[in-house]
Amino acid sequence: MLIEAALSGLILGGMYALVAMGLSLQYGVARIMNLSYGELLVAASFSAWALFTGAAVNPLAGLLAVVPAAFAASWLVYRLLLAPLVRRARTRDALEVDTILATFGLAFVVQGVMLGFFGGAYYSYGYLAVPVKILGATVAVNRLIALGVAVAIGLALYFGLTRTRAGTAVRAVAVDPESARLVAIDVRATAGFAFALGGALVAAGGVLVSMFLTFNANLGVLFTMKALIVVIMGGVGNLLGALIAGLLLGLTETFVATWVDPGLTLAATYSLFLLVLLARPQGLFGGSGR
Amino acid sequence: MLEVGRLSVSYGKHRAVEDVSLCVAKNEIVVILGANGGGKTSLLRAIAGLQPALGGASVRLSGRALAGAPAHHIVEAGLALVPEGRGIFGELTVHENLMLGAYARRARGAEAANRRRVLDLFPRLAERIKQQARTMSGGEQQMVAIGRALMSAPDFLLLDEPSLGLSPLLCSALFAALARIRDAGIGILLVEQNARRSLAIADRGYLMENARIVGEGSADSLRHDPAVQRAYLGVGGGRDH
Repeated sequence: MLIEAALSGLILGGMYALVAMGLSLQYGVARIMNLSYGELLVAASFSAWALFTGAAVNPLAGLLAVVPAAFAASWLVYRLLLAPLVRRARTRDALEVDTILATFGLAFVVQGVMLGFFGGAYYSYGYLAVPVKILGATVAVNRLIALGVAVAIGLALYFGLTRTRAGTAVRAVAVDPESARLVAIDVRATAGFAFALGGALVAAGGVLVSMFLTFNANLGVLFTMKALIVVIMGGVGNLLGALIAGLLLGLTETFVATWVDPGLTLAATYSLFLLVLLARPQGLFGGSGR
Repeated sequence: MLEVGRLSVSYGKHRAVEDVSLCVAKNEIVVILGANGGGKTSLLRAIAGLQPALGGASVRLSGRALAGAPAHHIVEAGLALVPEGRGIFGELTVHENLMLGAYARRARGAEAANRRRVLDLFPRLAERIKQQARTMSGGEQQMVAIGRALMSAPDFLLLDEPSLGLSPLLCSALFAALARIRDAGIGILLVEQNARRSLAIADRGYLMENARIVGEGSADSLRHDPAVQRAYLGVGGGRDH
């Protein structure tokens, strides 16, 4: 029972961490607080469902189509909708207000389109829903695959950002955009790239989640909120913090659902969030300042 | 040759830089002397593309027109700025700061050689290569800032108050390093409060007051100019005119 819950918690937490890393990139590097973030996740889930049920493409192969498409779509959103706001914003606070309003509106548009296509019903599909025994606990293979892929993507992101020049340039823009310009980094292009990369990550999360969770067109807000909570708990712009906070949240939710009451998971989420905010307002791993 | 012509900068109604023209040759250190708030920082920022200049300004680098170009193009063209307050990436390591210095395409080919030159110029950085830059002393951070700028393989280097906050000993080391950089063929435009030391290594100088260039000359003639001595070198005192 304990191992089973811990394993489920880790899997759920891994999804949260992956999704939060993308939001962290969008907010930390591109300085966009993207409230339509969860909508892209749900859109990716529906795409994976459509590919699986309509064209018999398994979701892992589906990743190869959905993730690049999400990257391209996010890049376009940045160039067409958000770049004009960035250009006209005088201060970072003004930009924050503008982008929150714009992406809030975008969330409704995307949600409306999905409701039009799929209605409000819950969707799911069965891919490798085969039980296996690990350490005496029973888990479905698709969940293990989802966790494995999330870990692989997270590691690739971490090493890409810390071990390559392009990744270091992305971090430089997060740390100090003006100095980044002084070393010939095109800050606007880098911000667009980071925003698109964040979109690719959340789409990967959406495809993986669709393998074992039911979803509907209204679920986006929930994922946006959870990603936001994880990012803030981990410390804004801190990928390692997002990872730990994501796992912590997944474990808490699963333990509460297993031993207390499944109806209290959201309450547990927000209690944990409040606790962290009270004790460490800068996040678990945030530095001083903002 | 770096040529700046008729460059003006304003913040709303306040004119920070008024119609400034100057030039710097390769192999030359040119210093701009002037009181705080005289527009020197705005001038350097405008040349580097961080601050928009008013229409009519020209910035030419080896004949190439750069006025109005974005900052990252100006670095690619061969001009690097070490800004006031250094502008290093404090969260990143010394190694990462230097690596980003060579982010410009023009710098990639000679990256290894430039890195050797920088570490040769500032051996301290080699010892601290994995340290997070913000945990270093002010002098070491200044070395990171200058090293990072040199990694972009510039033809011209602009420095804004590099000696600010440094001990006299570190100051001497800094100015000696600047002279070595010049001797390697890089033109240097320097804004400094420390007139005595900067005139000692400079080839030429400009005097800037209230947003305008009000005088220029060889470093030697400026050192012996009574007005310069009174205003910047603390000779003769300011009371007896």
